[in-house]
Amino acid sequence: MTEEKLILKEDLLRICDDVIKKGDTLLAPGKSEYVIVKDVSEIKLDPEALPTKISFKSYVFPKSEPVLYYKRSKNDVTLIDADVNGRKIVVLGAKPCDTGSIDIMKDLFNWDYRDEFFNLRAKHFIMIGMMCKTHDEYCFCTSVGCSPVSENGSDLFLIPLSDKEFALRIVTEKGREFIEPYFRFLCDADTKRTEEVLSAAKNPETAFDPDEVHEWLGRNFESPKWDGIGEVCLSCAQCAFACPVCHCFDIVDEDYSYSEGRRMKNWDGCQFGHFTLHASGHNPRDIQSKRYRQRINHKFRYYVDKFGKILCTGCGRCSRGCPVSIDIKEIVSNCKD
Amino acid sequence: MNNIYLPHLAEIKQIIEESPDTRTFRLAFRDRDTADRFTFNAGQFAEYSAFGDGESTFCIASSPTNREFIECSFKVYGKVTQSLQRLNTGDTIGIRGPYGNWFPLKELKGRNLLFIAGGIGMAPVRCVIENVLDWRDDYGSLTIIYGARSVNDIIYKDKVKEWKSRSDVKTVITVDPGGETSSWDGEVGFVPAVVEKTKPSSENTSVIMCGPPVMIKFTMPVLEKIGFSGSDIYTTLENRMKCGLGKCGRCNIGNVYVCKDGPVFTYEQIRNLPQEF
Repeated sequence: MTEEKLILKEDLLRICDDVIKKGDTLLAPGKSEYVIVKDVSEIKLDPEALPTKISFKSYVFPKSEPVLYYKRSKNDVTLIDADVNGRKIVVLGAKPCDTGSIDIMKDLFNWDYRDEFFNLRAKHFIMIGMMCKTHDEYCFCTSVGCSPVSENGSDLFLIPLSDKEFALRIVTEKGREFIEPYFRFLCDADTKRTEEVLSAAKNPETAFDPDEVHEWLGRNFESPKWDGIGEVCLSCAQCAFACPVCHCFDIVDEDYSYSEGRRMKNWDGCQFGHFTLHASGHNPRDIQSKRYRQRINHKFRYYVDKFGKILCTGCGRCSRGCPVSIDIKEIVSNCKD
Repeated sequence: MNNIYLPHLAEIKQIIEESPDTRTFRLAFRDRDTADRFTFNAGQFAEYSAFGDGESTFCIASSPTNREFIECSFKVYGKVTQSLQRLNTGDTIGIRGPYGNWFPLKELKGRNLLFIAGGIGMAPVRCVIENVLDWRDDYGSLTIIYGARSVNDIIYKDKVKEWKSRSDVKTVITVDPGGETSSWDGEVGFVPAVVEKTKPSSENTSVIMCGPPVMIKFTMPVLEKIGFSGSDIYTTLENRMKCGLGKCGRCNIGNVYVCKDGPVFTYEQIRNLPQEF
């Protein structure tokens, strides 16, 4: 059973100040992305802000990270293992459409082979989620099993009761361990008041039923609907980079001198034509419509079949940032006969 | 930290020029422990590194019964294979693997086997042939049909000679029309036509077939006409891969990851996949 406490904003900021002073990383939503907080005065904790342009994904799965270093000398090669700095990262005020993202990606990075680059970072995350009190025309968290009040993925969850007070829910053991040294700041909760705030949440309207979409996709690998989208999409992959759960990557060698270099794991995107291009010139997803079909199928069908989870949190970032106004909510809502 | 992207290092012991554009590396692991621990099954693949240019995916072309060395064969095509081509005997490359599934050779014991290979598709097929020849008594009749573009393009020439000399293997080698030389004593014609002409029996027989998509496309109807069912025909799918570990997201066909659920599939399985490969 989740335990609930009351905390004043000023006390919450005191805890944050302590996190920074200890040398841990404190991340909070900034103007367009999650930023490392240097001073607590930068913290806004605004439940009415829309999701940032990109999530905190790069802190658990960096845009570009070395997986090994190599040195060539005459015939020989020496390899040096890349190290992961598994520092504690406290995320403050993450939206419910972001908090669950690590759990969604975790399955992919751990089926059979375990990607410890991801795991070591994920292990050190303390997620302090916060109820969301806004949405725009692109939001659809309620259509993919999430909601503005979802505690999914949060270790601690904040419910803003006023400008000055929050209800604080202790969701996981990890969250409890984090907050225990600060118990002196916590007071008894007024759960009735919390419930009132929660029930006043502004849910975005449900746009589609993911089970129906899954079923439709199974029957419509070939559909003229894909051709239409393919003609509009620019294949810029903005959608993949903005997505909190898109995880496809490339592995590339980068020489930085004649004899030394590093092997990098870089974000990649299924909307790029070269993503699946064979050396022979053959390309299984040679046209944009096939690539967009892959994107939607991967999110709403393949990932569900493999891991039982939808590869989407409904944050709407891909649509909000799309240069040609492709709205994923609209497209998926149209995945029906 | 266990780094799944870290390759083993191996020395190129020998380079065999198979044809003008295909070469084979005979490789030995630098580390004795790795050499002892590295085991695989016929059909599995690995990621080979040319440090500085990246990794490329090929099957392991030597037999798993060979514990002395492993071999890979590649056609020079893209950035990494060009880089590999520049390496010499004694140089070091990286190997990650073995990955993926394999041909069910243990389950196929007692059956007759028909091997059909075209071009560089001979590499995975050779691995199976050598494996089967090492377990010769466990199988019935063996037939090999191998097609290359020209006499010059035939790879594993020594192996082919050895198979042809064996009385317990039927070996048919063909080259595309125009690819023959004046002294060529094999068949001339495309693989589907040669299969039709050879008329292998489908009775208690499984097919192991690898080659270019166009060869597979036109050989399938011939095999079906002879009486083979889709579940008796095994082939491999190749897709662009980076990780080989089911993570990087590009080799999937529908919800099937070629690197994990493949590369070996029966023709029946392939027929049920979305047609996106």
